[in-house]
Amino acid sequence: MAAIVTAERLSKTFRVKVRDPGLKGALAALVRPRYRDVHAVRDVTFQIEPGEIVAFLGPNGAGKTTTLKMLTGLLYPTTGRVEVAGFVPWTGGRDFKRRIALVLGNRQQLVWDLPPEETFLLNRAIYDIAEPAYRERLAELVDLLELRDVLEKPVRQLSLGERMKCELCAALLHHPPLLFLDEPTLGLDVTAQEAIRRFLSQYRERHGATVLLTSHYMQDVTALASRVLIINRGRLLYDGALDALVARIARIKRIELVLGPPPDGVTAETLAAFGTVRSFHFPNAVLEVRREEAAATSARLLAALPVADLSIEDPPIEDVIRQAFAQGLGDDA
Amino acid sequence: MTGALDWLRRYGALLRAAWLQDLQYRASIVLWLLWGVTEPAVALGIWWAIAADGPVQGYARADFARYFFALMLVNQLTIAWDSWYLDSWIREGELNFRLARPIHPAHEAVAENIAYKARTAGMILVVWLIVAAAWPAVRLPFGAGRWALTAAAVLLAAAMRFFISFATGLLAFWTTRATAIMELHAGISLFLSGRLAPLALLPPAVARVAVFSWFPYILAFPVDLLTGAVHGAAVVRGFVGQIVWLAVWLGAYRIAWTRGLRRYGAVGG
Repeated sequence: MAAIVTAERLSKTFRVKVRDPGLKGALAALVRPRYRDVHAVRDVTFQIEPGEIVAFLGPNGAGKTTTLKMLTGLLYPTTGRVEVAGFVPWTGGRDFKRRIALVLGNRQQLVWDLPPEETFLLNRAIYDIAEPAYRERLAELVDLLELRDVLEKPVRQLSLGERMKCELCAALLHHPPLLFLDEPTLGLDVTAQEAIRRFLSQYRERHGATVLLTSHYMQDVTALASRVLIINRGRLLYDGALDALVARIARIKRIELVLGPPPDGVTAETLAAFGTVRSFHFPNAVLEVRREEAAATSARLLAALPVADLSIEDPPIEDVIRQAFAQGLGDDA
Repeated sequence: MTGALDWLRRYGALLRAAWLQDLQYRASIVLWLLWGVTEPAVALGIWWAIAADGPVQGYARADFARYFFALMLVNQLTIAWDSWYLDSWIREGELNFRLARPIHPAHEAVAENIAYKARTAGMILVVWLIVAAAWPAVRLPFGAGRWALTAAAVLLAAAMRFFISFATGLLAFWTTRATAIMELHAGISLFLSGRLAPLALLPPAVARVAVFSWFPYILAFPVDLLTGAVHGAAVVRGFVGQIVWLAVWLGAYRIAWTRGLRRYGAVGG
């Protein structure tokens, strides 16, 4: 199948004014402005197939949003080529914009003082959605997002989670084949985050839309994305499945123990003989051991200590990613 | 044909949203109305006192009254706040989702303008009718032709002020002082567009400069048309001036929009 998104050697360099602090710096900047090139995105290449959910992952300022803005035509690349849904985003015009939805987690398109339904009606007109299609899609989205109770409340009275749900509803009424979501769960509580994730995966299953999202919440990624693009300091560090990344980076496993009585028998020193002690607050202990030794160590632990419960886990994905950022990943996968 | 219908539907939806938002702020509507009435009322009060001993350069008290009532109405029908909106859209990143929609953000601005003008000018018209019922001095000579010409001049002036405000607001792509530039424009227009006094009362040197600017055409000309102060060749000159300056500002807006977007695309919001 032809790719729906193609980015080839994409780079974006911003030229920013720099000045020293204080009055002297301000005056110097006025007389002789100095500039510095900021390489927000460097030589990034990837393709996305229709129907994929792909997550851009990276710390703040990594270049995720800049990439997203280039894909949606808000920014144009300094060098490189982008093609999205058959269009060059920057020049795609109205036909291109009808095929995408852009949801920015920190900026809203909902009309602040009015109930969300007014924004939906506005979008119906802006996107030329016929009345029967509008009714049907609205009913579906209201159902999936559980929005019935909030439709008539002014947006300013909605919770952050309710507002994000309404943002998604407004952005999807025209049934775009391609969704760009920039930090869709930013600032939401756990329940609201889960609701958004559940909705996104249901929506994609039903309509086969392609979803590109940026996030720095790992859970968004583990729950939604089959594929991650890890980006740091503008460079693409990794492109592939999340599991493969964990296996590649994480040379260790975590053994989580719940110890049984008596408490005085086991000390941190006892545990240190089996592996690196990550934490120990009786009766809970967490050990890290090399991946290939996990099974044997577990057996020895069970034989030697009063163990009530034992489980072997991959290290938290946050740690894996942190490690990836710290060490780099060598060549792009 | 379906294209025209689509646009009607889009504008219908934009206007509806604008009006519904206005209704949320009923108190501020009254405040804006008071603001719109105060400035011409103060100016009228001053000229009323000055003209106590007889006409000032041909303007008697009743002429001043008619002039400032007409000014009040024409000002509300042509005023544009777009530079303030654009400035905040650009600086706060609210332009992003507007650029991602398949409709030019200017349409939203035009709809807001229509909504605002219909509301405020409508109220001023009611105030004027009530005052005119009690006070013959502010009544206008009726003439269908003159009113039609005034309507055309008001439309041209409104379009010009819209593009001036929009183009100036777009300067926010380059500077954080876009609204300050608009304040300066408003300050100059106080004198040169006839907000403080009919242009006929300006010092001759200032009046000579003013005719070469767009200021007389955004207010004074349509006001003079409405009150019957201009005739014959001056009417033609007024319309020519309006059309020329409208073209200039339309051009300025287009340049600012394309260059600004290119800059935005280059450096981000």
